[in-house]
Amino acid sequence: MNIAVLVKASLDTNMLRVDSSGRLLIEDTPLAISEYDRNAVEEAVKIKEAHGGKVVAFSLLTWGPIARKEKDAENVLREALAMGADEAHLVSDESLLPGEVGITAQVLAKLLDEHGPFDIVLTGEASMDMLSSQLPARIAEKIGASVITYVRKIEVADGVVRATRDLEDSLETIESKTPVVISVTGEINQPRLPTLLQIRRSFAKPLNKYKLSDLGIPSIVRKLDMAEVKLVTVSRKNIVLEGDKLEDIAEKLIEKLMEEGVVKG
Amino acid sequence: MKALIYSEKASEITDAIGFLHVLSEELNQDFDVYALSLSSEEEVSKEGVKGLEKIYIVDKGTTKAISDVLSNLYSEHKPDIVLGPTTKNSTEILARLAAKNELPMITEVAGVIGLDGDVHLEKPIMGGRALAVYRFTTPILATVPAKKFKPKAVDTTPSIEKLSLPEEDGYKLIDVKPKEKGAVDIEAAEIVVGVGRGFKNKDDLDLAFNIAEIMGGEVGCTRPIAADYNWLGEDRWIGISGKKIRGKLYFAIGISGAPQHIMAAMDSKVIVVVNKDKNAPIFQYSDYGIIADLYQFLPVFIEKLREKLGK
Ligand SMILES: Cc1cc2nc3c(=O)[nH]c(=O)nc-3n(C[C@H](O)[C@H](O)[C@H](O)COP(=O)(O)OP(=O)(O)OC[C@H]3O[C@@H](n4cnc5c(N)ncnc54)[C@H](O)[C@@H]3O)c2cc1C
Ligand SMILES: Nc1ncnc2c1ncn2[C@@H]1O[C@H](COP(=O)(O)O)[C@@H](O)[C@H]1O
Repeated sequence: MNIAVLVKASLDTNMLRVDSSGRLLIEDTPLAISEYDRNAVEEAVKIKEAHGGKVVAFSLLTWGPIARKEKDAENVLREALAMGADEAHLVSDESLLPGEVGITAQVLAKLLDEHGPFDIVLTGEASMDMLSSQLPARIAEKIGASVITYVRKIEVADGVVRATRDLEDSLETIESKTPVVISVTGEINQPRLPTLLQIRRSFAKPLNKYKLSDLGIPSIVRKLDMAEVKLVTVSRKNIVLEGDKLEDIAEKLIEKLMEEGVVKG
Repeated sequence: MKALIYSEKASEITDAIGFLHVLSEELNQDFDVYALSLSSEEEVSKEGVKGLEKIYIVDKGTTKAISDVLSNLYSEHKPDIVLGPTTKNSTEILARLAAKNELPMITEVAGVIGLDGDVHLEKPIMGGRALAVYRFTTPILATVPAKKFKPKAVDTTPSIEKLSLPEEDGYKLIDVKPKEKGAVDIEAAEIVVGVGRGFKNKDDLDLAFNIAEIMGGEVGCTRPIAADYNWLGEDRWIGISGKKIRGKLYFAIGISGAPQHIMAAMDSKVIVVVNKDKNAPIFQYSDYGIIADLYQFLPVFIEKLREKLGK
């Protein structure tokens, strides 16, 4: 069973850097593994443990500057390797910044074809930064696989995959032939925390880097023009209630809640 | 210009037409609108959808089968814009169509802005903490949130045509289990006490239920509490993939403050936070913050609250 897992180095939504005028500083915001891509890696490793084969992790850098962000993307792939992936491949190219999901699919599909064929391609349900949920269907189309999205349970038997989709009002089980692209929810499993030894060993595993020209893709055609990224303004009082005793703090809070008209004494 | 709408419920056609009306005003162009709907003819006529030429009706099926039907309609009509609701199935179905035809797509358009002749579309990113602004272009696909854009009064009544689903090969629906519907409507609650992974056991949630009871509110939660642990029903799940709240008070306890959660509570008038980690991001989103262990603070607070409110 050959399994590919796609992991994105997403802008870390808990570490957004903002300047004094409230502008988002994308260049200074660190990248981290997209929350649910960790679940995708865990599921890939689990399937490998049960059925044999290998797990190959792929990532494409979507935020610059490359000089600062490429390291973050490498760390994301190292994390996948430490969790049990066998090899990793990273595309980083100036012309791909900022990322556009259709192009990401086109470029990653090329790499998947080169390193495949894969029976199963796992992704997260949505990337933490862009929340597009388009990549699974787009990559499936490119590599000629079927696609099952928002999956919280996977069963694999020869040549067939059964997956339970977690929808708004129902749980839906789909059976599909392989090759299949599956996007997983955060609830599918509990991602393992790699041990120190596993982290150290991950540095001995292959992590290859590519430019577009290495993939024989001469140029790309953008379909969408992202004019701007605007921070949503959040203005709150940010008052920390302090006191020597918890009783005092509790009283202060109740006082404030009464002042605000939220509770009535 | 021409538009094609995909919808599951008839009301989603209205949502998409609302979006088209806003867009049409900015573009100074009218749309001929066609829709594909999974709802029955009765539901469609009950909704009284107007402002489009024709509604195609098809039975429910797999996303694959439905996207094939939509794809045929796309080839037939060659629309400039294809819209659907922001549901999971719709997102997948539109993404399949976008992939097949190499089209750009915006998942969840939250706004249309006209800027000296240029039209821009906004989309929430980073858990709702930011908006990506895209230049409008055609052809394009987008998913439209419920009740965000209101249609103008129009009177074209659509004709209706029934289509059938294609045969499927190597991809089939095995089972559908409806989810139990919870009875709590936290979107309508004035006071919501939110619980997160700072709670170590399900039984400890009683602390939050006590506060909610004394103050006359409901208990809400983060995604892991509902979806990972199943401690509470999905009707209490707050966030970009759950419910939005907009009451007088959000009292967030043991919650780290990921934007994917807290941005869905930002319309609350007052936000109170209890977290033992003074660096937790949630303090940025708070009016009143308490840096304390919830297991120590809440019992004291509950006692005082009972005292002061005479309950
Ligand atoms: C595409 C996508 C969609 C998502 N949708 C949603 C969504 O709709 N809703 C949602 O909630 N999340 C959503 N998430 C997940 C989100 O990013 C966070 O992982 C989640 O909200 C974290 O939940 P939490 O705050 O309960 O847990 P944690 O992040 O683990 O935080 C627990 C907090 O409790 C504090 N704590 C621990 N012990 C104590 C104690 N004894 N006393 C006081 N404080 C304590 C800790 O300091 C910590 O800050 C989504 C993520 C993605 C990528
Ligand atoms: N640039 C990328 N590199 C690797 N994987 C990606 C990338 N973008 C998206 N993905 C994968 O596709 C999933 C959905 O992403 P999105 O369509 O951006 O919401 C993510 O959870 C990842 O698994």
